[in-house]
Formats: sequence, structure tokens, C-alpha cells
Amino acid sequence: MFRTVRKLRRAAGTAAVLAAVALTANACAGQDSAGAAASSSEIHIGAWLPLTGSTAAYGVPEKAGADAYFKMLNAQGGVNGRKIRWTVKDNAADPQQTVQIARELIGQDKVVAIVNANGTSQAEAAFPFVLNQSRVPVLNEVGGAENWYKPPRPGLFGTQTLYEDQAAAVAAWAVQDGARKILVVHSDPAAFVNVAKQVEPVAKKVDPSVEVDRLPVKYQTTDYTPVISKVKAAKPQAVILILTSPEAAAFVKEAKLQGLSLPTYAYAPVAAESTISLAKNAAEGLKAVQLVKAPSDPDPSVKEFRAAMAKYEPGQDAGFLALWGWSNAKVFAQIAKTVKGPVTSQAIVAAYQKASSVDPGVSPVMRFGADDHLGTRSVQRVVVKNGVWTSVGSFYTPPARD
Amino acid sequence: MSQFLLVLVSGLASGAVYGLMGLGLVIIYRATDVVNFAMASLATLGLYVAVSLHDHGVATVLGILAAVAITVAAGLLVRETVIRPLGQGQLFSALVVTMGVSLIAESTAGSIWGDQPKSFPSLVDGTVRWSGAALPVQSLVTIGVAAVAMTLVGYLFARTTLGSAMRAVAESADTARVVGLSAQRLARISWALGLGLAALAACLYAPRAGLVPTALVAPLFRAFAGIFLGGLTSMYGAVLGGLTIGVLDNLAANYVSASFRDTFVFTFTVLVLLIRPQGMFGTRTFQRV
Repeated sequence: MFRTVRKLRRAAGTAAVLAAVALTANACAGQDSAGAAASSSEIHIGAWLPLTGSTAAYGVPEKAGADAYFKMLNAQGGVNGRKIRWTVKDNAADPQQTVQIARELIGQDKVVAIVNANGTSQAEAAFPFVLNQSRVPVLNEVGGAENWYKPPRPGLFGTQTLYEDQAAAVAAWAVQDGARKILVVHSDPAAFVNVAKQVEPVAKKVDPSVEVDRLPVKYQTTDYTPVISKVKAAKPQAVILILTSPEAAAFVKEAKLQGLSLPTYAYAPVAAESTISLAKNAAEGLKAVQLVKAPSDPDPSVKEFRAAMAKYEPGQDAGFLALWGWSNAKVFAQIAKTVKGPVTSQAIVAAYQKASSVDPGVSPVMRFGADDHLGTRSVQRVVVKNGVWTSVGSFYTPPARD
Repeated sequence: MSQFLLVLVSGLASGAVYGLMGLGLVIIYRATDVVNFAMASLATLGLYVAVSLHDHGVATVLGILAAVAITVAAGLLVRETVIRPLGQGQLFSALVVTMGVSLIAESTAGSIWGDQPKSFPSLVDGTVRWSGAALPVQSLVTIGVAAVAMTLVGYLFARTTLGSAMRAVAESADTARVVGLSAQRLARISWALGLGLAALAACLYAPRAGLVPTALVAPLFRAFAGIFLGGLTSMYGAVLGGLTIGVLDNLAANYVSASFRDTFVFTFTVLVLLIRPQGMFGTRTFQRV
């Protein structure tokens, strides 16, 4: 009996020592990773993406677009002779899971950078370990907030025009189209309110006589009948939607039913294929801004995207979200090409800081610097024509916000 | 006036959906003591089947019938495999099990059909003008179909032998067994009826909201509010509670604030329950200590 207890104690002690050794080794691996993992034959990068769960609709096509680009690039010889290895792990949009994935990517997989990951709160949960402790850069994340880049954080670089600048761009567009009384219909959580508040100052900057009012709507409302009644009563000359895609679809459908015909503008989350599939012909004429050119665009860079998607990701739609992934992958590859010598985390950060003009073709020219970690403020204007999002003109930079 | 009419009809249409769902919940609860949280998710599976059939050229009405059949079949499978083995009176265990089934059903729908929103076909398109208001025909059809379904359920329970037997089991399963009624058979019929009503409600709701795996979470939430408002054990209460929630929701959005519609509705519900804890039509029960 006593011998058994002694054996158990000894086993428990051994297990504790082994666990401590393993933990220490893991921690050391994490700390060393910033300077390590430079291989002569490949560049190993990673990402967390929501491939299951409520936001998988974003993660799956984003992964497909980036995968298509990296496969095409590797088939063409890679980056300066090095193949890109992009390891993607499913975080199901969960911040806690993202932290665990970050530890695996950096500690075990030894990635030199996190590239084209997805999610604002998910990334923020991982920043202390990834950016501060491991000093591994986070590049071209889909999501983000103004305070990510003001002041710039070491190792954090973005390619996505901020939602606030998207709102500024649609405000300027509506005023340039002649609207003098604008109603902003927005969801009521703070993230939407903050974006909606950007419309008025920019609209007044374009034309001081413009009147802007806001109409908050309960998040995830599906019945827009009373909302349209309120819009009618307000008698605006244009409406700006700061809503999710399904909400915007419900808005335009109900507007059509009630005979409300107004120029309607929206920010990038509304410029999605799902808006058209939900709203059908009620979406016709809807104007919005996007981070990339329309996937239907005849531009050669977009044609290249469509061809690569058909070849390397045949089961996936070549839509906006896939194009986001493609664009982010391309920006990374173009900057990685400028690295002379081993492609380490520090070398990539240095290359981003020197990347003063990166033209992915499908999205605006990115301009980074030591103090400028957000590559662009520009957007592409798009409109629904014959049931398809169509590019209007070239990339547009909105007036500066105060 | 036209604006009020529009908001009222829209609220009644939403309320009819909540009422049908609430009715389904109450029928299942009364017959088997199970608060079925999986009802909406199982109905979502039915909706996806209907959309798939519609995409292959099947008529919308047939798709809706298929949705009802699939939802009923899935619900009966759940009852026979994971609810029935729990035994009678396991209210909280059954509650947790149905929550788990709900998550599994949503995940299954997402895996098979993807998470991108899909549109669900309307039974009818267009509007009719009445007193200056352009009323969506789909809303009027929703109200009409729900009214017919509710009337048939009322007839079933009030005028048929089967309905009497179901009411007897709801009152006391043991006593019903003594007089020769099969409690298990009647429980299966109750589940089938409840899930069929939920599937019908889902088919009426989806054309407006679109279809994602979690599309029916919001109406289920309101249906629960409706049955608590109306009285958890009352079928009339479930219907009237649902209608009240739907209409108040829209009136609040139009005349108070589109942002505070939930706050207004649920504040009203809480106030009613403070005054009348058993709900508007529920029966207060007393237990001797």
C-alpha cells in the first residue's frame, strides 16, 4: 500500500519536472522565434482565421484568395527563389483560441510573421504575446482600429482602409453627387456609432451647407418597416448605411416595397455579394466603397485573380472577400521580395518600413513608413449594376478627418 | 394613418411568427415537460433543405412542405434518441440537452450549406394599397397562414378526440395512462405538431430575414418572451403574447426609438410579469409545503 503511494508520488514528481522543462523550452522557443526561422528554401508565415463558427463566411473566402495567390506565386518560383509556406489555423473567431494558436504558430511552427489573419478583438488578445513578447510582426490583418496605427505599434502594419475613412469617403461621394440633406442609418453598437459620426464633419468639409442627421437602429434588426417610415418622414436627399450586409439588404428591400427611392450609399461591409443575393433587384443602384476593385473588373490584375482562383481554388467564389485575401498576400510578397538576405521577422519589419510604394493592382497603392504603419486611406467606389458590383472610376482618397 | 397601418401590419406579421413558434413551444412543454431550445435550429435545417430544393427548381410551396417534414423528422429523432431516455420530469437535463442539440444543428447547417447568408423565396411578392399604405402581400400572407394554422390547432385541441387525449396527458400523464391513453404516442404527436408549427413559422420569417445557421435565434428569443408574457402553459397566451411582442416591437421602433425597441418590449414584459407572474393567460399553481 505504502509502496504504491510512494510510486505514485515519484511519478507525480517526475511529471511535474517534465512539465516544467517543457514549459521552459516552449517559452524559450517563443522568445527566440523573432530572430529565428529564416530558411533558405522557404518563408514560413502563419495566420489565424475563422474557418468555422459565426464569422466563417469571412475567413473561408479570405483564406481561399490568399491561398490562390501563394500557390500561383510558388508555381512561378516564389519570393527570390524561396517558396511561401502559409500555415493557417482555425480560431473560430474566439480570442482565447487565437492566443493559443499564436503560441503554436510562433513556438512550434516558428513562423516569421502573422500575415492576412482576421479579427480585431482576436488579434488584440494575441498582441501581447505576438508583438511584445515574441516580437513577431502582424501584417495585413483584416479588421483593426484607428488606435492600432496612431501611434504606430512596432511590428503591426495594416492594409485595410479604416472604417472611419470609409464613412468619410461615402460622405464625400454623397455630397459630390448633390445631396444636401443626408441621413445616416446605422446599427446601435458603439463600433457602428463611431463610424457613423465621421460622416457629418467630412460632409461639411466638402460643403458647409450640408445637413446630416443620424438614425440608430437596433443591431440585427430584420423588420425595417418602421425604419423606412422614419426615413420617409425625415425627407433626406440621400441615405448612408452603416449596417451589416444582411441589415442593409433588409433596408433596401423594405425601401423598395414602400416605394422609397433615394440615392443610397454604404461602407465596405455592405459591398458584399451577400447583399445582392439577399436583396435581389432591390440592391440595384446601391453605391458603396470597397477596399479592392470589384471582382468583375476588366483590370488585368483582377483578371489574374479570377484566373488563379479558377485554377487553384475552383470550389470557391472569386468574390470581394477572396480578393481581400489575395491583395493582402500580394502586398506581403511584394515587400518580402525587397528583403536582401535571410527573411527574418526583423528583416520583414524593416522592409515594411521602407515600402514607400507597393502597388498590388487590385487595391490602392500602399505607402508605409517608420511612422506610418497603415498603408492606405483610399477606397474603390462600387455600384450595383445589373445585379453585379461594378467599379466606378479609380481609387479615391477621402478628405482628411479632423 | 397610412404609416401606422403599415407598422401595425408589419408588427402583426412578425408577431404571428413569434406566436406560431410560441405555440409550438407550449404544445411540447405541456405534453412532455421539455422546453425545446433546439426547435429553431431544427427548423433552420428544414429551411436549408427547402432552399436547396428551390435552387433545383422545386416549387416554393413544395419546398415549405419538405421543410416541415424534415423538421418534424429531425425533432422526432432527437426526442427518441436523447430526450426520451432522460425519463419524465427531467426539466433541466432536457433543457441542457436541447441547447446542445441546437448548437449541433447550427454547426451541421454551417458545415453543409456554408455560413454565407442565403435568400429564402417569398410565397408572394408585391404590395397592395390600402388607406394610402403599400402593404407587403407577404406580410398579409404570413398573418393569414398563421391564423389558419392557429385555428386548426385550436380546433384540434377543442373539438377532436386526439386533442382531448393530448390535453388529458398534459394535465396528468399518469391518470391518462390509467384510462388507456398512450403517453409516449401522444408525446410524439405533440413534438411533431410543435416542430411543424416552428418550421411553418420559420418559412414565413425567412423571406424577410434571409438564411444563416443562426437566423432563427432572434425570433425564438421573442417567442419565449411571448410565451412568458402570455403564460407558459397557455396556448392562447402563446399566440397573444407573440402578437403583442411583435406589434409593440414595431410601434416602439416607429414612435419611440428604432434603437430601443427591445428595451421597450422587454421592459413591458417584465412589468406585466411583476404584476402577474403567471403571465396574462397562465394559471397560477400552488404547492402545499
